[in-house]
Amino acid sequence: MEFELSQDHRVLQDSVRDFVTNEIKPIARQIDENHAIPDELVAKIGAMGLLGSYLPETYGGAGLDILSYVLAVEEVSKACGSTGILISAHTSLCCDPILQFGSQEQKQQHLPPLTRGEKIGCLLLTEPDAGSDVAGIATTYRQEGDAFVLNGSKIMITNGGYLGTGIVMASHDRGLRHKGISAFIVDLASEGVVVQRNENKLGIRGTYTTAFSLDNVRVPAGNLLGSEGQGFKIAMETLNGGRIGVAAQALGIAEGALERSLSYARERRQFGQPISEMQAIQFKLADMYTAIESSRLLTYRAAWLKESKKPYAMESAMCKLHASETATFVTHQAIQIHGGNGYINDYEVERMYRDARITEIYEGTNEIQRVVIAKMLTS
Amino acid sequence: MKILVCIKQVPDMESRFKVNRDGTWIEEQDLAFRMNEYDEFAVEQAVQTKEQLGTDVDVTVLSLGPGRVTEALKKALAMGCDRAVHIQDEASAQKEPWQIAGLIAAYARGQAYDLVFTGLQSQDRGSAQVGVLLAELLGMVCVTTVIDFALKGTSVSVSRELEGGLKAAVQFDLPAVVTCQLGLNTPRYPTLPNIMKARQKELLVVPAADLLLEQALTATEKMYPPARKEGGLVLEGEIDDLADRLLAVLKEKTTVLRQG
Repeated sequence: MEFELSQDHRVLQDSVRDFVTNEIKPIARQIDENHAIPDELVAKIGAMGLLGSYLPETYGGAGLDILSYVLAVEEVSKACGSTGILISAHTSLCCDPILQFGSQEQKQQHLPPLTRGEKIGCLLLTEPDAGSDVAGIATTYRQEGDAFVLNGSKIMITNGGYLGTGIVMASHDRGLRHKGISAFIVDLASEGVVVQRNENKLGIRGTYTTAFSLDNVRVPAGNLLGSEGQGFKIAMETLNGGRIGVAAQALGIAEGALERSLSYARERRQFGQPISEMQAIQFKLADMYTAIESSRLLTYRAAWLKESKKPYAMESAMCKLHASETATFVTHQAIQIHGGNGYINDYEVERMYRDARITEIYEGTNEIQRVVIAKMLTS
Repeated sequence: MKILVCIKQVPDMESRFKVNRDGTWIEEQDLAFRMNEYDEFAVEQAVQTKEQLGTDVDVTVLSLGPGRVTEALKKALAMGCDRAVHIQDEASAQKEPWQIAGLIAAYARGQAYDLVFTGLQSQDRGSAQVGVLLAELLGMVCVTTVIDFALKGTSVSVSRELEGGLKAAVQFDLPAVVTCQLGLNTPRYPTLPNIMKARQKELLVVPAADLLLEQALTATEKMYPPARKEGGLVLEGEIDDLADRLLAVLKEKTTVLRQG
């Protein structure tokens, strides 16, 4: 059993940390306040190779492993949860299903622009009446000559506003429930893809969370991902991988909050001593760090399982569940340690507290994670 | 053209340091290590020189130290160096600059490097001697504290940073050793694809025991943190008197009131 990162992983961690320190950290607050990640930063993230970390070099990726991807999302999220999920949703929810289920031709056509960052990827799964209940998808498709025609509404689409590449889930017969669903690779700049709105949110305010209507969107027949009726399976597989990305994001947010809490507690003096020397604060720090380290082990292990092509559905649910609740807990305590200062936005933990909250909700609510874990445990 | 870049792996300067048990160096156990910041500029300048001259340039990055230093070498490879040499030495922290320069020279002699880049100094020892001593041992020209570098043929023009905000323009011919000051360039980030490619590059391990070790010229007797300052000087009394006394202290003990 080996619990140490390899030197290669540490080189990556160190390089991404440098990049984050210089390029992301100084503008994290601005990203939150302006509700936007600057285009120049997205371009730099692409040039750095962060949008194709574990994709094969043949498709413009870096050819690294899933743990490298996790380490990268974690480092980025320490400074900015918004930028962390941009990378995570792009990689796990769009590039990954194309890589896993796409034909040679589809991979060659769609992956290079994604790994280069010319297109930002997303997954169009959630609908007004189909969230946790994926089989309830009401967006329809029908074949018309050499194209599929899509109609329906999609909401809460992370990265949607970039109008890049989307994996769209649609049904040809709602009566078939999950068996009627297929997945399509859709250029979101296509005619008929209409942005209804980009949501105003509690946290991760730099990201797009987009509502679309799909109005007779014509998709070339060659853009069917996998086979017809395979959509539900693709969605489930994709979410399993995506949960590792969200866990990495949550882990990063929690680590960022602990870092700031530690340095604040060492500097802030009350009753003639740094508050870090008071047991009330020390116990908080101990609990925060313990929760972070257990999240890390679960997350890295899930990444290792996926990399090793072993079953990982339960582990990805567990790491997402635990890391997200850790992020909420740690950022909550971080504000408490900062006292009044924590509540104003100068000290950043206020932003982290808001950014953390979503990790308990997306990529499957934590209630759904518990269902997944319990089902596998008891079946 | 053959270029050598000498780098050192040093503790992360954000670390909390403790002096080790025999009191001659720091406790390395719990520290995180990184490439010496000055050396990042040296690596960048070597890679830029290669990019300027094209393919006929071979850049070797070299580091001396225990097994962990290959991490810094891999970073340099990911930044664009062609090959790495690790002079493996578990006891490098106990060696002084003359010995370190001696080991590097023992390897570099006979390799016919045209140009050697080093950082101006290391962030931990900060002796700023290894580059200069290496040049002496290899019989090469040495130019230190370089903040601007331009190569034309075999002629190099540099700007050196001097004391008091002065700069010096220096011209010299290769072969030469150049020690790099912060700000010489903008060191690049190793991109993820380049980190992957670096894994295929040659990393040669040379045990320090195979190289001639020079006699130490200096020894560290004791290492200790500076004594904690007592609570400063508190002036008390009438306001006019206080101002005069403060002025006297500033004149006597500081340079803030000196002209020019």
